[in-house]
Amino acid sequence: MDRRKLPSASLFFLIFGTLLFLPPLVLLFNQHLRVLGIPLEVIYLFAVWLALVVGTAMFAYRLPHDGEQKTEDIG
Amino acid sequence: MTLSSDFVIATAIGYVGLLFLIAYAGDRRARKSSGSFLRSPFVYTLAISVYCTSWTFYGAVGSAARNGLEYLTIYLGPTLVFVGWWFVLRKLVRISHGQRLTSIADLLSSRFGKSSRLAVLVTVIAVIGIAPYIALQLKAVTSSIQAVAGASELGDGSLKGVDDVSLALGVAAAMALFTILFGTRNVDAKEQHHGVVAAIAFEAVVKLTALLTVGIFVVVMGGGFEAIFASAQAKGIDIYSDETFGNRWVAMNILSIAAIICLPRQFQITVVENSDESHLRTASWAFPAYLLLMSLFTLPIALFGLTSMPAGSNPDMFVLTLPLAAGQQGLALFAFVGGFSSATSMIIVEAIALSIMVSNHIVMPIALRTARGLGENDANGVSRLLLNSRRLSIGIILTLGFLYFYFTRDSDALAPIGLISFAGVAQFLPAIIAALFWKDATVKGATAAVAVGFVIWAWSMFLPSFQNSSPAVAALMAHGPWGVTWLRPEALFGSGHLDPLVHSVFWSLLLNTTVLVVVSLVTSQSALERLQANLFVDAFRPTARADQHFIHGSATSHDLFFVAQRVLGSERATGLFEGVPRADMVPSPEFIGRLERELAGSIGAASAHVMLSKVVSGEAVSLEEVMQMADETQQAIEYSQELERTSSELRMTARKLEEVNDQLKELDQQKDEFLSQVSHEVRTPMTSIRSFAEILLDEEELHPEERRRFMTTIHDESLRLTKLLDQILDLSAMERGEQGWENWPFDAEASLQRAIEICRGLARQRNMHLIIGARTDGANVCGDSDRLCQVLINLISNAIKYNDAAQPKVEIRSSVSRGRYIVEVLDNGPGIPKAERKLIFEKFARGQMGKGAAPFGAGLGLAISRQIIARMNGKLELMPARDRGAAFRVTIPLA
Repeated sequence: MDRRKLPSASLFFLIFGTLLFLPPLVLLFNQHLRVLGIPLEVIYLFAVWLALVVGTAMFAYRLPHDGEQKTEDIG
Repeated sequence: MTLSSDFVIATAIGYVGLLFLIAYAGDRRARKSSGSFLRSPFVYTLAISVYCTSWTFYGAVGSAARNGLEYLTIYLGPTLVFVGWWFVLRKLVRISHGQRLTSIADLLSSRFGKSSRLAVLVTVIAVIGIAPYIALQLKAVTSSIQAVAGASELGDGSLKGVDDVSLALGVAAAMALFTILFGTRNVDAKEQHHGVVAAIAFEAVVKLTALLTVGIFVVVMGGGFEAIFASAQAKGIDIYSDETFGNRWVAMNILSIAAIICLPRQFQITVVENSDESHLRTASWAFPAYLLLMSLFTLPIALFGLTSMPAGSNPDMFVLTLPLAAGQQGLALFAFVGGFSSATSMIIVEAIALSIMVSNHIVMPIALRTARGLGENDANGVSRLLLNSRRLSIGIILTLGFLYFYFTRDSDALAPIGLISFAGVAQFLPAIIAALFWKDATVKGATAAVAVGFVIWAWSMFLPSFQNSSPAVAALMAHGPWGVTWLRPEALFGSGHLDPLVHSVFWSLLLNTTVLVVVSLVTSQSALERLQANLFVDAFRPTARADQHFIHGSATSHDLFFVAQRVLGSERATGLFEGVPRADMVPSPEFIGRLERELAGSIGAASAHVMLSKVVSGEAVSLEEVMQMADETQQAIEYSQELERTSSELRMTARKLEEVNDQLKELDQQKDEFLSQVSHEVRTPMTSIRSFAEILLDEEELHPEERRRFMTTIHDESLRLTKLLDQILDLSAMERGEQGWENWPFDAEASLQRAIEICRGLARQRNMHLIIGARTDGANVCGDSDRLCQVLINLISNAIKYNDAAQPKVEIRSSVSRGRYIVEVLDNGPGIPKAERKLIFEKFARGQMGKGAAPFGAGLGLAISRQIIARMNGKLELMPARDRGAAFRVTIPLA
């Protein structure tokens, strides 16, 4: 993917991540089902959470470094 | 056997001691090397997890036991904020580095035209809004001490007979004490506390490890996840709550999103303590990962607690009571330390952040305004005042926390208390978002919005939390104020069917945002606001930083056009002003910036800036204005110290130069006067000599008698002239400090006697009586005896010559007092008029009398005398005016 597109890609990643946590999507998994003995919605929420962590980690070091500063530089 | 309360308290104190060591070592390391591991992105991330307080450690389990998965919202919101770090947090950090922000109040105030009113409002709201949060920590620590020491065991040890209020008071006092010791050891201009961050990062590891250990222990005890869920379901606990994902879920997600941005301690750690923007990259995934780990075992612990503990036990304390029930003393103590960690780190950072706000935005501006001399000569004055005001603020903040705890001690769950604080600080969120993304948001809009949001929050959420302790509040909630039912705190406008939390969050944020938008649209910004708005919203635009001028004011485009026309010429000016709307419009800062660059091309950057500053504001922004704009920030303190120092140095140099210049001018004038006086004095005798000589030459038939008289006059005048010239040479040599002058010890009394003897003749001529008053026996002084004699003769003969009294008298007396030899010469002559008292020691200044009397002296006598006495380190002065006559006094230090 073109590096220029990364910021907008990360914005959509954020928007979809947010939608996944909110009703009505989250309600789809509120089905009184259990996977490995654990309620499905619990599995779902933690899975989305983990996916967000992994996805953010992938974005984190690829997003452009423009004019990043340390306090020492500013003095 | 259970743990004794003394042992638990000793553990807590020992743990705090360890934190001190870490903070101390952290500060030292940070000072020594900038590249140490303390500045690694992981330490930064761990410090951010100060977000997880005892609410997370204890309260989340309680929340999960009561409301199921709802506890997750507190961690999902922050996760989303960090996933979107690129858009909000990065901008906050960038702006904060550029503007050197010190707090959330500073952020809003700075963006909205450096408004100190907004800063004060935000500070006050933050202090009130955080009080419940502090109370939550006090409550958690108090309950945990009681739980781990065992309620029945409180009979033993030093906690005997101590109720929970006294225990909480003790905890609050101890917390205040070590927050003060931790956070206010010194004032850092950047408000970065490396040692504290190190300690907080350490606490983050402790609380995570403790919670994970308890979690794993519980899962093992319960026979795995599956078994725990199965037995809970078997016990009739609803593990699939259908209610979970409703309005409350959304509202709490919004609150936690707001909290991770708006909580003063989060802003402090995430934004202010950030030393490197790239650390955010690591934090963006590592902090959500930390949160995930922290909440991984919450639900199993809650469910296992509900199934295995006796009914009615406090679910908030399951993390402690489950290991205790299993007889795991060590694990329980570790869990207690973990919970204590989470509470102390929250209190330390929150109190530091709030105290910075209170001292920078409330105490300092007042101090700067009232105490003018503050720090003027004392560079430490400001720092000391800051530290003391911070210490005081920390005390006040913990007192408020304790008071809140005291008045709401009947409420049992931890999480709802924390949510009150979240909803309070969430009122900053609309203003912050507008600050970062909406250029047209005005200070009036932001202030009104924050105020309205705060009032609704206070009415609908803060006030109801007292309903159990105050019958008045309970009545108000049931019937509304003055019976107005649609104003009931939890049923505003008849919306009583909503969950109280949703109700308060909905109305406060809705009206907050509405007011922000509407007021911003109908009010306008000052030039400074527009400038700051551009700096904030365009923080990432490379040009935005270059335009940091302090141009402020209200020049119209007409004024600017006039200037541009003169500098650039009509044609270019017209081209430049194309598209700038009305003549009386105030042009945008960008336009002023562009105009300045254009002008700079013609007349140089500095001149262009000076010129525009003058036009735009009538004058360049004064130092006081700059001070006022910035006086809330730490920057100002730093600035003012520097400026005061430089400007007082400059003032001093300027004053010295002025003095020297004045002296030079005076000397120059004296020289001119002296020359004209000399020529005048020389001219008079010369004229008479010349005229008499001419008569002698022309008139050959002069009577010998007459010829003799003329010759005598010429002789006398020549003598006078010679004497005058001698005196002038004498004086000028003495003034230049030349002439072989050596001070030797001699008897001054002898010189005086000599002078009196010499003057007796003159006195007799005038039929005058010399009165010799009190005399001393002889006084050794250091100097030149002939010169002293000369001075005394001068004084005495003046007193005789100018005395026109019917019975003229001159009195002479001498004495020794306080190591000084004193001679006084008093007469009953005409005295010296007030106007001349200062002048008589000047060259050529003769007293009024001198004019009438024979022009015997040249008026140099007293001037020379004063010089002579000065050479002997003494003083010749005129004594204070008397009824009649003059009195001179000579004072010479004894050898």
